Amino acid sequence: MIRPGRDDDPDRLYTVTGGRSRAASKDFDLVTLVVSECDPVPGMQSEHAAILRMCRYPTAVVEIAAELGLPVSIVKILLSDLLDSGRITARHPQTTGAAARGRPGQPVAAQLPDPTILEQVLVGLRNL
Amino acid sequence: MTAHTAPARPWTERPPLRRPLLALLVSVTVTGAAGLWAVWAAPESFRQPMAYGAGATALVLCLVLTMAVHQREKVRRYRRRTAYLADQSRKLAEEVVPDLLARLRGGASADSALAATPPLENESYQRVVEQLARAIGQSESRRAAALAASANAAGRMQALATSMLADLRDMEHRHSDEEVLADLLHLDHRTAQAGRLADSIAVLTGARSGRRWAKPIVMESILRGAMGRIAGYQRVRLHSTTGIAVAGHAAEGVMHGLAELLDNACNFSPPTAEVHVYVEEVPAGAIITVEDSGLVMSDVALRRAEKAVSPEAAADLAGLSGTRLGLAVVGRLARKHGLTVSFRPSARGGTGALMMIPQDLISRPQDREDPPARAATAGATGTGGFSATSATHATPAPAPSRRGRRTAAAGGEAPWTDGTDGEGAWPAESWPAAATGRGRGGAEPAATPDHAPAAPAAGPAPTRASADAGAGAGSGPDDPDTLGIPRYSPGGLPKRRRGQTLAAAHSAGQSGSPTPAPSPARTLSPAESAARFGAFRRAVQGQDRGQDGSGSRPAPDRSASSSPSHPEDDA
Repeated sequence: MIRPGRDDDPDRLYTVTGGRSRAASKDFDLVTLVVSECDPVPGMQSEHAAILRMCRYPTAVVEIAAELGLPVSIVKILLSDLLDSGRITARHPQTTGAAARGRPGQPVAAQLPDPTILEQVLVGLRNL
Repeated sequence: MTAHTAPARPWTERPPLRRPLLALLVSVTVTGAAGLWAVWAAPESFRQPMAYGAGATALVLCLVLTMAVHQREKVRRYRRRTAYLADQSRKLAEEVVPDLLARLRGGASADSALAATPPLENESYQRVVEQLARAIGQSESRRAAALAASANAAGRMQALATSMLADLRDMEHRHSDEEVLADLLHLDHRTAQAGRLADSIAVLTGARSGRRWAKPIVMESILRGAMGRIAGYQRVRLHSTTGIAVAGHAAEGVMHGLAELLDNACNFSPPTAEVHVYVEEVPAGAIITVEDSGLVMSDVALRRAEKAVSPEAAADLAGLSGTRLGLAVVGRLARKHGLTVSFRPSARGGTGALMMIPQDLISRPQDREDPPARAATAGATGTGGFSATSATHATPAPAPSRRGRRTAAAGGEAPWTDGTDGEGAWPAESWPAAATGRGRGGAEPAATPDHAPAAPAAGPAPTRASADAGAGAGSGPDDPDTLGIPRYSPGGLPKRRRGQTLAAAHSAGQSGSPTPAPSPARTLSPAESAARFGAFRRAVQGQDRGQDGSGSRPAPDRSASSSPSHPEDDA
């Protein structure tokens, strides 16, 4: 099994973040959804460019981290750089769901599924 | 060893007496005859004094003549001896000693070097040579032993530093606490610097150079790898848009040499000044420029530095000062890899160091430009598209895969990757995209029936993806017709794109396309639904089969994974 942390890249993590070890903003947690607001420009740090390409559709922080093969904390630093420069937007999935539920006009599928429905599905599957 | 040559030494023989004796004989005969004749010819009264006189004269004459001959012989002998000695001295200086030194420097012991040297006939010369051989042999063996010990120690230090760096990276991935991470990064930095020192000693002592990279390293990584090894890396500003990569066998050397140049630049500029690094591609290769705004090197200093990094100087450790190892290391590395290093005054007010990497060490990954077009080509031709694909297969390491997926993400117009392999869970007829022959790699991380794992959150799936992505250099091209339009599984269930919120997916589905939608699903016969759940089960089991890289993977649909991947893509 190839570990994500295997040391076969000359990049050290502190050079990726420029020596920082904590994100400037606290806006990100593991499931924060990130959407890029612009395309990568030449000369950009490769990780930033990769994030921008990856996040054309909303992508969770943890997915970005797995995709880049970097620790989540490092990714958060990179993301907060991008957030500061306005290249990405971030939002929390729960707030989205809550907002959707609160609005009657929203399609039903936008709501987070009700736990009881999920339970019923589970039971149904088991009964097959 | 001198015994057999003794007869050949002219000055050790007794002076030859033959000629003086001959001269004596001749003179005695001649003077005797002349004396006798004179006595016989003299009048009777004068005969006796005449005899005495003639005898004395003859005696003196004989003596003088003999002495003269003898002296002449002696002079001749001394002349010969002088010439011989001069010849021996010349031989000693021009042949014997240089040969001896060469043999000793070549690693021969004093005795074997002496045995191989033709012996000198002059005993004192021979003694000189022997003493010389012993002294130099001793110092050479002392030097060699010290060098070997240092090289060995440096090699171990290198190995330790490398494994520590790997451990640290593991830990950095394990510990998400920011405090711990900060400490780990600090340790990482220190270890990298220690590793550089070990590398320097290894280079100077001629040990095998540090680690070798199995793949070309992109320039950005080279630059970051170099700046990560110096103390003041935060002052370094990188300006590079190039996509070139340095061959794996030379990457470590280039990084190390560059790190030494960067270290010099940081050490000889004010602690707050920035050091700028530029990369420029030229026909002969690539030039990395390190510019500081510190001390301006004088002409003499520039010349000295140039000399220090020139290949000739690099061969010898004699010019090594105790504290300045950097330029000597750069010189060694430049000699080894054919780099050219030069210095010039910088426009920033300090010194600029230029390192030219020759063309044969440089590769240009073709994956940077226009990924969608390339991906389409790859899909159309049905081949891997380019060599890097096979390279990725050959080195299933996380980094190439990561970069590969990054590339794929660039061709992100392939959101629906329907590549199914032969034994996938889904019948081929249901996948128009699959019918185009994509996913022949069979190991696409993206070859995922969307609903199969019920998208098991973000936990295990990404890990699995990164684990198998090395083998997942699948070649699925983009699927333009699906761009932004929801796809439906054979069963009529809408497919959610990875990361796409349900809201977005649903609304798009309602507005975007004709929907076979949920309704057919409700009207399925029991047999059909049983078949579908059977497919579901197979898909779930495929998770296990996927371990060997052949099954379809129930991982979340990854938009990024369908394009051919490139280890070198750093964008």
